Amino acid sequence: MTSHLLWIAPLVPLAVGLVMLLVRDRRMLAALDVAGSLAVLGLTAGIARQVAAHGAVTALGVFRADDVAVIFLLLVGLLAVAVAVASVGWMRHEVARGEMREDRLRWYFALVHGFVATMLVTVLSDNLGILWIAMEGTTITSALLVGFHGDKHGLEAAWKYIIVTTIGISFGLFGTVLVYGAAAHAQGGVFAGAMNWSSIAAVAHRLDPGIIRIGFIFVMVGYGTKAGLAPLHMWLPDAHSQAPTPVSALLSGALIKCALFGIIRFHTIARDACGPEFSHGLLLAFGIVSVVVATPFIIVQHDLKRLLGYHSVEHVGIIALGLGFGGRVGTYGALLHVVNHGVTKALAFLVAGDAIGRYGTRDMRLMKGFLGIAPVAGTLLLMGAFSLAGTPPFSIFVSELLVVRAGIAAGRFVPVAVFLAMVVVIFAGLVHHVGQMAFGVADARAERGREAVTPILAMALLAAVMILFGTWIPFRPDRVLQSAAEIIVG
Amino acid sequence: MFLSVDLATRLIDVLGALLLFTMLLILASGQLFRAIYAVAAQAAFLGVAGAVLAAATGNVDLWIIAAITIGAKAIFLPWLLLRVVRRVQISREIEAVIPMHVTLALAAAIVVLAFHLNASLGPVRQAITGNALPVGVTLILIGVLVMASRRKALVQMVGLFASENGIFFTAMAISQGMPLIIEIGVILDVVLGALVMGILVLRVRSSVDADIADLESLKG
Repeated sequence: MTSHLLWIAPLVPLAVGLVMLLVRDRRMLAALDVAGSLAVLGLTAGIARQVAAHGAVTALGVFRADDVAVIFLLLVGLLAVAVAVASVGWMRHEVARGEMREDRLRWYFALVHGFVATMLVTVLSDNLGILWIAMEGTTITSALLVGFHGDKHGLEAAWKYIIVTTIGISFGLFGTVLVYGAAAHAQGGVFAGAMNWSSIAAVAHRLDPGIIRIGFIFVMVGYGTKAGLAPLHMWLPDAHSQAPTPVSALLSGALIKCALFGIIRFHTIARDACGPEFSHGLLLAFGIVSVVVATPFIIVQHDLKRLLGYHSVEHVGIIALGLGFGGRVGTYGALLHVVNHGVTKALAFLVAGDAIGRYGTRDMRLMKGFLGIAPVAGTLLLMGAFSLAGTPPFSIFVSELLVVRAGIAAGRFVPVAVFLAMVVVIFAGLVHHVGQMAFGVADARAERGREAVTPILAMALLAAVMILFGTWIPFRPDRVLQSAAEIIVG
Repeated sequence: MFLSVDLATRLIDVLGALLLFTMLLILASGQLFRAIYAVAAQAAFLGVAGAVLAAATGNVDLWIIAAITIGAKAIFLPWLLLRVVRRVQISREIEAVIPMHVTLALAAAIVVLAFHLNASLGPVRQAITGNALPVGVTLILIGVLVMASRRKALVQMVGLFASENGIFFTAMAISQGMPLIIEIGVILDVVLGALVMGILVLRVRSSVDADIADLESLKG
């Protein structure tokens, strides 16, 4: 079925972003930001309904949404809304403290909407070339946002980010070219839609395994760099910690998942062309390395936002592990983890931004008694941290459990054992860091003002989703996740 | 068809050799200007390769791609780099992080590896004209080597562009190139990315007077 929503969805944030460039009033910008993000969420929900009713929908011959895409779409929509709502109060505070110049706000908001638009195109594109173009588009828009404050650290992080991820995903383009070349060879010529994932996947079992293997390695390295899989993650803690807080939430919560979406698309092609063992093995290797590499950095970290950055490396690794263990359970767990980590990490970054604003530092050793000066945000901090560490009744526990179960079922005992050991160490490290921050008596210089309403509202929304998915996965999301896992497992 | 397939294959191999030669010039150049001129020449050869393939296959899209490649990558991007160099008045010497003979040895290993990899491929090789695949792989990897072994923002950008030239070369030679609209989108991304990188370099210069690639305050 064709659906016009597929091309309208990315066009809306793009148009909203362009309109924002004409607006100078802060309140007006915030209203546009929230309205635009709600429109995005509405459109993604509309696409989800169509997919649920009719199966995969297409548009213009290059866009396509199936159940896999719906998961990522809804995540982007939800996080866009949460971040927009939180930005209302956050931005007022930033402007008051002189961190953000009021005359540059419109550029900031316009870039955020451009960034959201490129993420939507990434997830909606059927054409693998457009997928790549949009992915590079996310780098360009978000690099400007990472360096938006214009201080030395921010610019350094932005430079590392744009140079490393651009060279990284140019590997992805090369892999795309090779896969496309193999497909064109197998199909005996070039035709309209020859570059579409759906048409390549349909002939995947006839593709030359040698060239697909090389292509998948290039794609894995390329999009893996963008996803922050170790050892290609060097830029991630810098970029995610130096970006303005709402942008950090989008980068860690949504963007790295979009890169994984690219890997998933090529994984399904490689699965049919050269058997599942090859791509499973590669995903497993990157996954376990990410979890192991992130652990020591999490333990010794004192910078709150860098801590969260390294946590993203760990969790992207867990998603790769789930995909690598494979099977229905592992894939379902990995997709559920995409949602759970996205929601939880956005929550954690929003709380972290609030805490950094109050203490005027990012050093966790100097932040004491957060629960005392901000009871609501402090509670949400503890909830977010326990969820990240994998404690029930929060959502990450469920998806990590599914990943472990799939690993045992697949007989991959060594990676499972290493993974469990690392999770225990990370739990101890995280509880230590956050306990230090939440309890005790706050420094006299810490700001004790009333808690701003809108950031709390946004965090509560995310926390509600986090608890819901931890206790009971509603029927509809469950069905989407199951049929998405079906598509990936084949 | 203005060219026979045989002649086109030979021409592509000659152009591939020229691309490799310019890549080595970039890798070995001790001066920023030389590296920029070398990458411009490389993009010009890439444009000629596009024209050869267009003449051989009769694919009109490839003529357009060849023209855009020369306009964007052989003229605009080098011009942008030279402009940034003049604006920031940086020292023009390139200091290597890794000694030059080690980088050259690594480059040689990359070339051997890429051609060996190509020889191991099956019938699908027919779909790619001449030696475009190993040349592409070599260019990409040596581009990364340039970026990793130099701590200068503009040299890293040159390495990046050279890497991308390798991708375009292989893409052109595979089954008559990618769809035109995709090629245009990719080149647009490259140009926009280069502009953002230029902005970042200039902003760091104006605020702290250092090379952005040399900042090392974020660690651990």
